[in-house]
Amino acid sequence: MANLEAKTSMSAFQLAIVLFVTCIGAQIMLTPRALIEQAKNGSWISVIIGGVLFYIATYLMLRLGKKYPDETIVEYAPRIFGRLGGIFVIIWFNLVFFLQVVTIFSGTGKIITFYMFDRTPPEVVILALLVLCTYCALQDWGTILRIHQFLFVIAYSILLIVWLTSILNFRPENLLPLWPVDVKGVVAGGISTWGMYGGYECVLLLLPLVYRKVSLSKLAKEVGLAFIGATVLFMIIIVVIIGVLTVEDAKNLPFPALIVIRSVELPGTFIERLENYLLVTWIPVVFDTLAAMMFFMAQICMRQWRHADHRPALLLLVPIIYVGSVLIDNPQIYDQMGKLTMWVGLVFSFGVVPMALLLSWWQKGKVGKDCG
Amino acid sequence: MAKKKWISCLLIICTCIVTAGCWDMRELQDRNFVLAVAIDKADEVKEVETFVQPHGTKRYRVSLQILKFASGGEQREETNTFIKSNTGESIFEMVRDMLGQNSKSLWFEHIQVIVISDAVLKEVGLSEILDFFKRDAEMRSRIKIYVTSGKAQSIIEFTPPSKEPGGVYLANIIRLHNKNIHVAGARTDLGYTIQYFDNNSNVLLPRIEMADKVVKLSGSAVFKKDKFIGYADEYAVAGLKIMLGTEKSAVVTMDSPKTPGHQVIFELFRHDTRLTPHVEKGVIYYTVDITMYGNIGELQGDISLNDTLDPEYLRILEVAFAEEIKRNIYYAEKVFKKDMKVDPVSSFASKLKAHEPNTWEQVQDQWDELYPTIPLYVSVNVSIRNIGSHK
Repeated sequence: MANLEAKTSMSAFQLAIVLFVTCIGAQIMLTPRALIEQAKNGSWISVIIGGVLFYIATYLMLRLGKKYPDETIVEYAPRIFGRLGGIFVIIWFNLVFFLQVVTIFSGTGKIITFYMFDRTPPEVVILALLVLCTYCALQDWGTILRIHQFLFVIAYSILLIVWLTSILNFRPENLLPLWPVDVKGVVAGGISTWGMYGGYECVLLLLPLVYRKVSLSKLAKEVGLAFIGATVLFMIIIVVIIGVLTVEDAKNLPFPALIVIRSVELPGTFIERLENYLLVTWIPVVFDTLAAMMFFMAQICMRQWRHADHRPALLLLVPIIYVGSVLIDNPQIYDQMGKLTMWVGLVFSFGVVPMALLLSWWQKGKVGKDCG
Repeated sequence: MAKKKWISCLLIICTCIVTAGCWDMRELQDRNFVLAVAIDKADEVKEVETFVQPHGTKRYRVSLQILKFASGGEQREETNTFIKSNTGESIFEMVRDMLGQNSKSLWFEHIQVIVISDAVLKEVGLSEILDFFKRDAEMRSRIKIYVTSGKAQSIIEFTPPSKEPGGVYLANIIRLHNKNIHVAGARTDLGYTIQYFDNNSNVLLPRIEMADKVVKLSGSAVFKKDKFIGYADEYAVAGLKIMLGTEKSAVVTMDSPKTPGHQVIFELFRHDTRLTPHVEKGVIYYTVDITMYGNIGELQGDISLNDTLDPEYLRILEVAFAEEIKRNIYYAEKVFKKDMKVDPVSSFASKLKAHEPNTWEQVQDQWDELYPTIPLYVSVNVSIRNIGSHK
């Protein structure tokens, strides 16, 4: 029987699934309000801009990874940036995941306690989800990959089916004017969609597992498919929110996606208050994102400290993640954390990675000349 | 090794106890289902039912209609709901204080309707009254909101002849608005009302009145933003619904052309209505193009003179109905635009914003002054498809 635990390789398509599943997580509930406030009727354009922008960032990461096909960024960063620079970059890389994880845990706890369990402390909800994600992240990559593939088919399709019931209240006129008056807001909104697409940085860790014979163009194509899928899903969410609520209403709601689904009344039935069903289908989506990111964090620590196993590092990170999530206990801190996470991620993607590429080209060119 | 296993098991058990999900457990029979809320001006303040307020005055009376659970074998009572009431200023504070009058917690997840007295709305904006309902997570988006000129509490005390719970009965009346052209019921619930506030739009809510043992919905309460300005009668509401195309089925009456003094009624089944803004050389105007298809619903008069089998007579009726519908629309325009100076549910503003955004950017700040001067051109075509089972 095949050993699902040990995984030394995976296909480009599997990488695309992991990318899709890691990108799409809690942010489909947590970020629409801020985007709609910034980009207004042009939010759908911002989503496309974001998709293109972060695909470019991912492509740069693929190029960088392809230069060191058997190594992750933890191994080649010190060679590119020097010992201290390398450590700084690795810590920054880990911070990108850490900040996303604590923000997602905190936001998820807030939503679940407000809309489902109003008497349960958010800390308890966070703890329960953390325990579940830790159990998953403790497994080897093979098991986690199978979970991703399973949830990709099951969880996302059910989420989409529940979400699409909001078509009943959709009014196309609310989307007009389609072409935005405020172009600056749309472009700024595109950049701020990093919160939605965040998670693509995992390619820097997973590339060594992707079959060595896969060409860069095939990898880029598969990853592009993942981004197209994510962009389409985000667009459906944003377009439906605006179509049901209008821009002005969505701006005033902390979680407009939930209000959209709450207003659905299935005709001829007594069924309403579908936000509970949406939350139930959303939790597995959040779970697989968080489990993956926790695994990546543990992997980074494992490689940095040259351990044989990622489990001790993960168990060390769990209380830090819990404390970090619980400390974000009011909307102002949550907002600040969101902005900090976004800038840490953006600077890493568009600052550190291009610089690493340039430095590695320069170093390889220098080596070539010295050899010559 | 065994010690580590024991510690791990203990940790797992402790985690399970904390995360088992019993925190929010509440049995159904331990809740009081609130079906309707009435908000009136506080008239008589009864010391027992109210409380000492640290801030504000005894401004409002909030009454809750609560579902009565009857166990099997009990004698069937007259009503299946009861009313609890309180006076104060903050609705949330009054609701919480009412727990002192109940043995079970109040649960709003099944609330069907909110009835507000216009005496309250004449003093304070609608958004202020509805803030508690829009903020609380228990509230449904589809709560119906009615305005009454009398006492709202009497409306929710009304016992329906069908013996269904009062709140459910009141909420179900508005579901028939598609067939009743005198009631503007499309998008008048809590979720849409909040949307209108957020969009800085005017609001239209159904009017409900009670006389003796009759409760009836007809006409609309008109709000400029969230300020109550008056009522629109049934004929104005009918014209508005036709203009905006929100009716699914309607009845249009007019005097018979061949036998004046006797009515002939057109039953609408299907329509295609387009309200379109136009901007030409800086001048804004609107056109309404309506095509209606329907049947002759009723004809009071000598059928030998009103021969509905005669195609020429049908053509005369079609033209006459079209004129009547135009008259209705222009009457609605007069009531809303000229008398009340209100763009109802900001429909004209939203059309301009959607189709002519650049013009809207220029005029949005002066829209309230500009709107009464904007002309409306109406064109109606009526097609009679059937005359009924008898001529």
